Amino acid sequence: MIPATLTKSLVEICGRGGVIVDEERLLVYESDALTAYRHRPGAVVLPRTTAEVQGAVTAIARHGLPIVPRGAGTGLSGGAVALDRAVVIGTARMNRILEIDAANHRAVLQPGVINAELSAAARPHGLYYAPDPSSQTACTIGGNVAENSGGPHCLKYGVTSRYVTGLTVVLPDGSVAKLGGQGRDAPGYDLVGLFVGSEGCFGIATEIEVGLLPLPEGVRTLLGIFDRIEDAGRAVSDIVSAGLLPAAMEIIDGPTIRAVEDSVFAAGYPTDAEAALVIEFDGVEAGLDEEAARAAGFCRRAGAREVRSARDEHERMALWKGRKKAFGAMGRIAPDLLVQDATVPRTTLPSILKGISEIGKRYDLVVANVFHAGDGNLHPNILFDRRDEDELERVERASKEIMQLCVDAGGTITGEHGVGLDKKHHMPLIYGSAELGAMWGVRRVFDPAGVMNPGKVLPEETAPEWTANGEEQGAAEPVAAAVAAP
Amino acid sequence: MPVNGGQGTLARAIEEQEERLLNCVHCGFCLPACPTYRRLGDEADSPRGRLYLMQAVVEGRLDAGSDAFQTHIGRCLGCRACEPVCPSGVEYGHLLELARHLGGSARRPALLARLLLRVFGTGWLARPAMLAGRVLRATGLPALATRLLSGRHRSGERRDRQGRGEEPGRIARAATGAGLGLAMLAASSPARELFHKRLAARPARREHRAVGHGKDATGASAAGRGNGATGASAPGPAAAGLSTVAPPDPPTVALLTGCVQAGLFARVNEATARVLTANGYRVVPAAAQGCCGALHAHGGDLEAARDMARRNIGAFEGANPDFLAMNASGCGAAMAAYGSLLADDRLMGDRARQLAERVRDVSQLLADRGPVKGAPLPLRVTYDAPCHLLHAQGVADPPARVLESVPGLEVVPLDGAAECCGGAGIYGLTHPGLGGWIGSDKVRSVLATGADALVTGNPGCMMQIGAGLALAGSRIPVVHLVELVDESYRRAGLYGPQASRGNMPAGIRAATQPGRSA
Repeated sequence: MIPATLTKSLVEICGRGGVIVDEERLLVYESDALTAYRHRPGAVVLPRTTAEVQGAVTAIARHGLPIVPRGAGTGLSGGAVALDRAVVIGTARMNRILEIDAANHRAVLQPGVINAELSAAARPHGLYYAPDPSSQTACTIGGNVAENSGGPHCLKYGVTSRYVTGLTVVLPDGSVAKLGGQGRDAPGYDLVGLFVGSEGCFGIATEIEVGLLPLPEGVRTLLGIFDRIEDAGRAVSDIVSAGLLPAAMEIIDGPTIRAVEDSVFAAGYPTDAEAALVIEFDGVEAGLDEEAARAAGFCRRAGAREVRSARDEHERMALWKGRKKAFGAMGRIAPDLLVQDATVPRTTLPSILKGISEIGKRYDLVVANVFHAGDGNLHPNILFDRRDEDELERVERASKEIMQLCVDAGGTITGEHGVGLDKKHHMPLIYGSAELGAMWGVRRVFDPAGVMNPGKVLPEETAPEWTANGEEQGAAEPVAAAVAAP
Repeated sequence: MPVNGGQGTLARAIEEQEERLLNCVHCGFCLPACPTYRRLGDEADSPRGRLYLMQAVVEGRLDAGSDAFQTHIGRCLGCRACEPVCPSGVEYGHLLELARHLGGSARRPALLARLLLRVFGTGWLARPAMLAGRVLRATGLPALATRLLSGRHRSGERRDRQGRGEEPGRIARAATGAGLGLAMLAASSPARELFHKRLAARPARREHRAVGHGKDATGASAAGRGNGATGASAPGPAAAGLSTVAPPDPPTVALLTGCVQAGLFARVNEATARVLTANGYRVVPAAAQGCCGALHAHGGDLEAARDMARRNIGAFEGANPDFLAMNASGCGAAMAAYGSLLADDRLMGDRARQLAERVRDVSQLLADRGPVKGAPLPLRVTYDAPCHLLHAQGVADPPARVLESVPGLEVVPLDGAAECCGGAGIYGLTHPGLGGWIGSDKVRSVLATGADALVTGNPGCMMQIGAGLALAGSRIPVVHLVELVDESYRRAGLYGPQASRGNMPAGIRAATQPGRSA
């Protein structure tokens, strides 16, 4: 419960409907899409403008309370979970597209705009917004900025940081800063680059300027069906080695295929297959057919049972729908799932996939894989039921082993979901004290008081001693890695 | 905290649904589909948030009588737009009914809601109430009141409050509710101006010039028949004409005449029977039918809904039609769900399921038959999909195909056609602030189309959008899909020389009479 004086100030700023302090109503903000972590916030504030965010942050900062920014709560690393009864600043009401500047291929929008709706608004101008996380029909651009989100098509087009050109941000002390803007190469340090992917630890982006791309002239989508997932992995590796650059290459494994085919998003994948590989080429029409034919050849040589191509836009959308809704469709197999997000060198895909399958068998767990194969960005989904405590324990151990396997192969602990709460303790697997120290240093430049999304991204025990304004701040209280099982 | 002694039992009932709740993996894909979340921005007003509250009740962390549960479960429109976008297939609509049942046992629902449900569900109360409504409507007072209110309605103060998502105080709410009620009653009137004046003023395309206009198609019936035959894939107009013998062994349909539909939209029921007959169906009466129970189920009064379902099962089994024709999608969705509503009823469960399988929206029945083409209607219309047709029953294409089949009709897309209009049963009356906000967004989209008329398929939506348009000072009429088809057929002379509006064979009249039991 936050102090009554703070509630009063927040209501003055955001209106009665924009401030939630009732303990029972706060229940629904306990977790994001990774339900293993549950922490009830102290309050939720829903501002509409930069000025309202500024007012809210200033008021909260005056009371010394921590702040957690939250978009649509579709994140998969616990990043939007409020530790220590922090006050959540939600961007759901900041959902206006402020400008589409078609001639200059740019748009300015509020952070609560939904990713897919930006592309829909740009389409009449012949443009679209390239980063397409699988949750794009629900996730917000603000969340994408915080997590530096990718998506299937980032294989060719790159992730969010490549498209954000300017930001208006409210810093943790309540000041407003304009970073970058109106061009790709602002003089001085690249603060936009620093802010994108900062996981809500540097401030809250309240206006976002992004670059848009012209819609591709043509698209070819292929589907390779494999009896062994390693073969699909080999096809991916071979296609890229041969110099082809598909817009996307996605692998959907057997258990996932069966979940998707059972859902309303059934894409027509054969349910007895062990892997489906979706390959897409886009760009100017000329040459697309030849590229698609070459990729189909690599699939067949790697052992594909069958290679189909989408005959029309309807079939293409169906193929993608099955892929993009796969995560949600897992609910049909088990009540809970832990989505992993690791990146490995593409060439190691066949052996890593085999290794993951062995770990799953050893711990008697169903591991379903659906991932951005072209980037080597794996998403092993461990399925479980949190009411089974023994199983929960095995999930924890298997998850760690999978992570270690990926790191040992030269990979990293997250591809696109962010570190958040979930991966924080894996950070020392890939960084030493020099790197982590530098990260803490940057974080403290933006947030000297340590109030923005505390307890996320960087493990507290790695924090160097810190003094600001001559006052000993020290490392924040270590926060228990609460894997909450009720 | 007001806790009813029966809550333990009910909590167990919802607990049995836990497997369904657990299907929710909290992915959040439903959030943008939810009209209340989109406007209020509070996750407790999203499907995922509401499921989380239900789960909290099951886990014993939240009381069903709590303000949080009552407010947010109560604020759900029940539009079920979240279901088609749910990858996990959570049966939200079903869970909502259970949650309302639980919430209603923990705390008595509002007086207005109880009163309205009581009236709709009780034949001897519903008929005089509907009669009073018709009498009041005929005086023209509701229409006058709507015109007077239309200026005030647009005041900035109201918009500002809506911007904050707050409901007005009790007295203001009652006043808004009363105003909306009158406007809805006025909006249930037939679109006379559209069909008589506007259409009459617009000559049909050249090849159809012979087709008669105005009230009486008699003079042009012969020419109309000839034109009507063009492009018809199903039984031709000669076979479909009411005076003609139907094809051998035509499929039979019984019409759910409904409570509001029979009371205020009898013309839609009659039009439904005529257009179905013209498309080769034999319309048979199901005399002892009553209210479908949809409003009761949505409101959480599952016992009342089950009683109504049992009575209707008996009534329709008696008529034993091949299909049950629905022209109110809210009723259609409810009857299509009789199987799950009575799943635990050992005596009626199987019968409920079998009957539910025969439920069809009138647009489906028509689309299955082509449908038969009528005379041109040179109008620009736009279509708003009723939630309980599109989301709850997944009927998307048939209404579009029926509209396409009407010659001369220009159908312009409606922005946000898949989103709820805010009518949602009695929602507009129980939540005038939020319902009005959602409704005014719909009105804005309709006005932007420049259409001559809005077409939809549910009486609640017709009244809500019609009231919204009238209160916004617009004269765009709202018509039921079958009214358009019927007008097209009438102008084509498909009903024979004698048939004109309100003049129909006894068989049709019997099939469209409201049920006599209560």
